[in-house]
Amino acid sequence: MLIDRLFNQDSSPALEQLLRFTETRQRVLANDVANVDTPNFIQKDLSQADFQAQLQQRVDQAAQSSPGSVNFNDISMDVQDTGGLMFHDGNNRSMEQLMTEQAKNALLHNVAVELLRQQFMKLNAALKEQPE
Amino acid sequence: MFDILDMSASALSAQRTRMDTIAGNIANIDTTHDASGKVDPYRRRFVVFAPGQAGDAAAPGVHVASIQQDESPFIRKYDPGNPDADKSGYVSYPNIDLSIEFVNALEASRAYEANVTMMENAKAMINSSLRLLA
Repeated sequence: MLIDRLFNQDSSPALEQLLRFTETRQRVLANDVANVDTPNFIQKDLSQADFQAQLQQRVDQAAQSSPGSVNFNDISMDVQDTGGLMFHDGNNRSMEQLMTEQAKNALLHNVAVELLRQQFMKLNAALKEQPE
Repeated sequence: MFDILDMSASALSAQRTRMDTIAGNIANIDTTHDASGKVDPYRRRFVVFAPGQAGDAAAPGVHVASIQQDESPFIRKYDPGNPDADKSGYVSYPNIDLSIEFVNALEASRAYEANVTMMENAKAMINSSLRLLA
């Protein structure tokens, strides 16, 4: 019962998707930084608002249905072109924005990992029959 | 997750190639002869980046598509006594402007640093994910 709830109902599935999102986004941002001097390269990003909205919808659904019945894995993470000032070489880089976004993304990743780790520690404590 | 490291690594080597090219330009800023000894001033070279890895254009990352020669005119200086001077007394020097090269070098090293930062962050993220298992 505890394991079922821990893995399928509480925040775990949402945190898992958050991890998936931050890893995918880090990959996209790393590619942007790599191509910061490439002519005609349009910088790309994932929409955080889109992701949050989809996650919110599934969390709301999960609260009203039985554990494990809501699929979190079908959250779409589409790579989109970003706007911004276009340089003469056809690249719309913004180094400051890129580095800020990736720092925020890395922090968000750490938050998700830390919260998930605490869930697992709960399970660990239960397994060992010892309070945390 | 691990391919982020490859991506940043491709950018590091591309920026390093750019830096090598700049170093070559600066080293040859006064070169008026070619390797065989004929009068042929050095032409400025520059890299052209393209997205994708060197062997696989579809893979994320960046690579040096080509190193091209700058076809702008040579810098001509009046020096009739110089054995390299043409009929009207002008000597052609490479079309290299030091300030352009320095700005380029600065940009390359900043871009290199940014990619190192991305790499370090990716490593930190992988590490923290791994700690979930322990």
